[in-house]
Formats: sequence, C-alpha cells, structure tokens
Amino acid sequence: MARFGSIRELHDAYDAKKASPVEVTRDYLAAIRGSGINAFLTVTEQRALVQAKAAEEILSREGKVPRQKFPLLGVPMGIKDALTIDGVRTTAGSRMLENYLPPYTATCVQRLEAAGMIMLGKLNMDEFAMGGSNENSAFGPVLHPTHPDRVPGGSSGGSAAAVGADLCLASLGSDTGGSIRLPASYCGISGMKPTYGRVSRSGLVAFASSLDQVGPMARTIEDCAIVLDAMSGHDPLDGTSAQRGPMRAREAVAEGLELRGLRIGIPEEFFAAGMQPEVESAAREALRWYESQGAKLVPIRLPNSGYAVSVYYVVAVSEASSNLARYDGVRYGFRASGVEGDLTEFYKKARAAFGPEVKRRIILGTFALSAGYAEAYYLRACQVRRLIRRDFDEAFKSVDLIAGPVAPTTAFRLGEKVQDPLQMYLNDLYTIPANLAGLPALSVPCGMDSAGLPIGLQLLAPAFADEKLLAAAHRFERREVR
Amino acid sequence: MPGKSVPSAQPIQADLTRKVAALARLELSDAEVSSFTKQLAQVLEYVGQLQQADVSGVEPLGSPVELQEGGVMRDDEARPSPTSADGKPKVLSSAPEVMLDGFKVPPIL
Repeated sequence: MARFGSIRELHDAYDAKKASPVEVTRDYLAAIRGSGINAFLTVTEQRALVQAKAAEEILSREGKVPRQKFPLLGVPMGIKDALTIDGVRTTAGSRMLENYLPPYTATCVQRLEAAGMIMLGKLNMDEFAMGGSNENSAFGPVLHPTHPDRVPGGSSGGSAAAVGADLCLASLGSDTGGSIRLPASYCGISGMKPTYGRVSRSGLVAFASSLDQVGPMARTIEDCAIVLDAMSGHDPLDGTSAQRGPMRAREAVAEGLELRGLRIGIPEEFFAAGMQPEVESAAREALRWYESQGAKLVPIRLPNSGYAVSVYYVVAVSEASSNLARYDGVRYGFRASGVEGDLTEFYKKARAAFGPEVKRRIILGTFALSAGYAEAYYLRACQVRRLIRRDFDEAFKSVDLIAGPVAPTTAFRLGEKVQDPLQMYLNDLYTIPANLAGLPALSVPCGMDSAGLPIGLQLLAPAFADEKLLAAAHRFERREVR
Repeated sequence: MPGKSVPSAQPIQADLTRKVAALARLELSDAEVSSFTKQLAQVLEYVGQLQQADVSGVEPLGSPVELQEGGVMRDDEARPSPTSADGKPKVLSSAPEVMLDGFKVPPIL
C-alpha cells in the first residue's frame, strides 16, 4: 500500500492537515535509507528538507495548497542522474562523471522546483542512458521493486523502481529508444516520452540528441500530466525546443476524452511473433476495453518499422560517438593520474572510465560515421528514418492513436541478457519507432503475468497531441472507477 | 570516390576495430578487441538489412526538429559566465588541473 496514490491524494492530505511536507519528506527519506534496491545514487537530504520547510511556509500562508500556482507543492520526487543539478553530484551512471558537480541545473528541473517539487535525490541509470535493464550502471544494478531477482528495465531503471517501490511519489526519466516506457512497463507504473522538443534537453547529459527526451514517471497518468505541464514549453537554451508554450495536459485529462468513435490503430508489426503470450493477451484485452467504450480498433501497417532497431543502432550510436567525444578528462570528468606521453595518451587514459556497453556503442557509431562507410550506414539509416516517420504520418490520416505492447516480455532476470548485446537491442523494437519519428508515446499499466510481473500498454499519438494521448490513457487507467 | 561496400559478406576484422577505436581515442585490451569485433560483426550483420530498403529519392531525416515550425537559430547574446562563491568561473570548478583561467593539459606532441 503506497503512502500516497497520487499527487492529488497528497495535496488533499496537506489541505486536510493530515500530513505535512516535512513529515512526508522525512518519511520518504527513511524509506530510501531502508531500501535495498539501489535506486538512488545520491540523496539530497538537506536540500529536500529545506524545500519541505519552504512548502510548509507556503501552506501555512495560503491555508491550502495553491494547486494552480504551485502544482507540485511538497511533492517528493527523484531525478534521473542524467539531469544536471548545480553543485549536486551528477554521474549519468558512469565512472566518467563519478564526482562531477555541474555548474548549472537542467531547465526542466528548475521548472519543477519552481512549481514546489521536493527533490529527494538522483536516480540510478544505465551508463549514459545506454541500456535496457539498468545493469550497465557503474554503480551497481537496480533491483525490480517487487521481484528482486529481476531487472526494473532501463535506462531509467532507478526512476521506475523508486516510484514502484514508493521511495518517491514521481520521478523524471529520459527516453531515447524506450528508456522511460520500458522500465515503467516492467515496474507497473506510468511513464511518458513527450513529443520531441516539448521538454527542454538543456541539462540532460546527451546520449543521442535527435532522440533524447525527458519525461515523467509516476503512479498515475494525471500525475504524469501535472509534471509535464510544469516542465514543458520552449526553452531558448535548447535549440531543438519547440516554439510552443507549456502543455495543458491536466486540463485535458480532467475534461476527459470522448472514446466513442476514437480510432485506435493496431499495427500488425507491433504484435510480432515471439511475444510472451500473457503480454499479448493483456494488451489485446486493454484494447477490447477501449472498443467496449465505443472506440474503433483499426488494423494498420507500419511497413518500415521492421527496420527501426537497425536505424536506431546506427543513428543513436553515431550521435553518441559524437556526444561522448567531450569526455576527454580536460575540463571535467575522470582524469587518470600520472599519464606518461602526449595528449592522445591522455585522452585514451581518461576515456578508459567508460564501461563496455558505452565503448561498444562509441566504436559502432565511429565506424558508421567514418569515411567510406558513412553513406552506407549513417546516411542510409537517416533515409530509412524518414520512411518510418512517413509510415506514421500516413497511419495518422486514418487513426487518432496507435496502440500496442511496450515490450515483448515482462521483466527478465538479472544477468539473463548481458551476454548478448543484440538480444538486448531487440527488446526495444516497439519503443524505438516513436523516438525515430519524434512522436509522443507512453506506457500505462494493463495487467500482470502469472508471476505477478507488470505489463504495460503503449499508446502513441501524432506530434504535439500529447494532451490527447494522456487523456486517452487516463480513461483506461480509471476504467474501474464509477 | 565510391564508398566502401557494406561488408556483410566479409566479417569485421580485429584490425578495423583497432583502427576505429583509435579514431575514438579508446584504448582496448586484446580481449576487448576480440570480443568487440565479434559483437560488432553481429550487430553490423543485423543492421545490414537496411540495404534492402528502397530509399531512392528519400531525403535523410537527421532529426525531428527539421519537421518543426520556427527555426533553431537565435541571436548570439553574450551573458556573464556563472561564477563560484570565490569569484572564479564555475566552468573551471570541475577541471582536474587549472592554470590561470585555462585548463591544463599535456603537450600535444
């Protein structure tokens, strides 16, 4: 039984004086101390208590939580360690940044703090966001919140597990090829990757700049909406930031979405062979619920989505090889001591701090961009990327949303897939397309398998239809509420 | 000059792994060269399927930002650099070795 089921419940408790921000914060901090799942890498106890006291002052002044002005007042959250906080250790899950203290705070985090959020700490992740199980962290794996022999998913494994284990009420993750949606699905919580450009990437340690997006992870879709409203909107510090204001997702969720006549596209390619049967049946049952509410399920095709994993493991690794060139030991990050030799030796010794998966992807990306190979690999992958985006544009001419599973299976066992990188990569086949196309996509819980492992339903929408997407997911989440 | 053909028929050699690692300023042990070469070959074989796609006349899509309205450019405006409590530029605070207001590195040659 979670302390609080949602932000709304927490705020109701604050209003009724049944709980106070400082009490609640101390409670979550104690839970983190007693937890063995390794979700948090850094706990910002002092900062959290200062923020909690400030929240109490606002509460006593206003009488009740001013939900419009401070929509996240007194809400304890965890932040993926890929997001910079001024003066607070930010590691991106890597030895390379083991003791790195950023000189600025990520825009999205600044906005959440301005909205009243209490930051409990920084959350464990796959190194430089490269991974799907949180087994690639330099600081140890994260354990699944309910099944400790299983992975929580990745790369936002800490962000998902922390919410799932009730160590915070909501968290921020990042999603480049599924890194919010997959762990959300495995851990039985909700998580969303917004339309590319809707949330600033300033302060997000870059993995693949054309794919990365920051997004919320929480117990409810409404909470995801509240967090997105607070942090979305144009940021001049991010050149890829869309020229739009913040979302109005909470409003859209509250207004409700008419499901009668809603056309939901079911891609043939999203129900490929090899899916765990219980995952498929849970997803199909969820879709039958939508149908029972008057939605139309429309079979569609995304003919080039079979290339998505290939495109991703060329494009993302190419961008990563470029983005990670900055880790040279000169201005920040790991620097080996007593290096004999020239600058090249110096760089090599500094870059020894990368873990194997990171090295693997840098090599792949360097290869794909190198003279003589760039046309055959990187350029061609970008061409196929446009085909994948066109498939979606075409599909959305005849459907409003697209649905399918998040992953082929539920959470697998620790150590099960580490030996085979390609196997691990194929796990992302349903989530990658949304990143390539820049479209909003989320995971909402839709059941469990016979081992009690959670299953997520994935919903996608056209670019900038984030609010509608959340409203549709909210209806499903609340389906048993009269 | 024609690009090199996709080496799907020829397995990736350790030599190429070493060359690419050098480009990326990564130092690999012999064991790493061996295991990476094998893994890379597997991945490259898989992504070789991209050669089957019909991309004639298709413009590469580098980023969804190209599909957004409004540009990505804005005017450069100089702003004061953040400083630490001691007045030094914050950007130097994480540097392992600083000299005056610069980052100290070994010689290039």
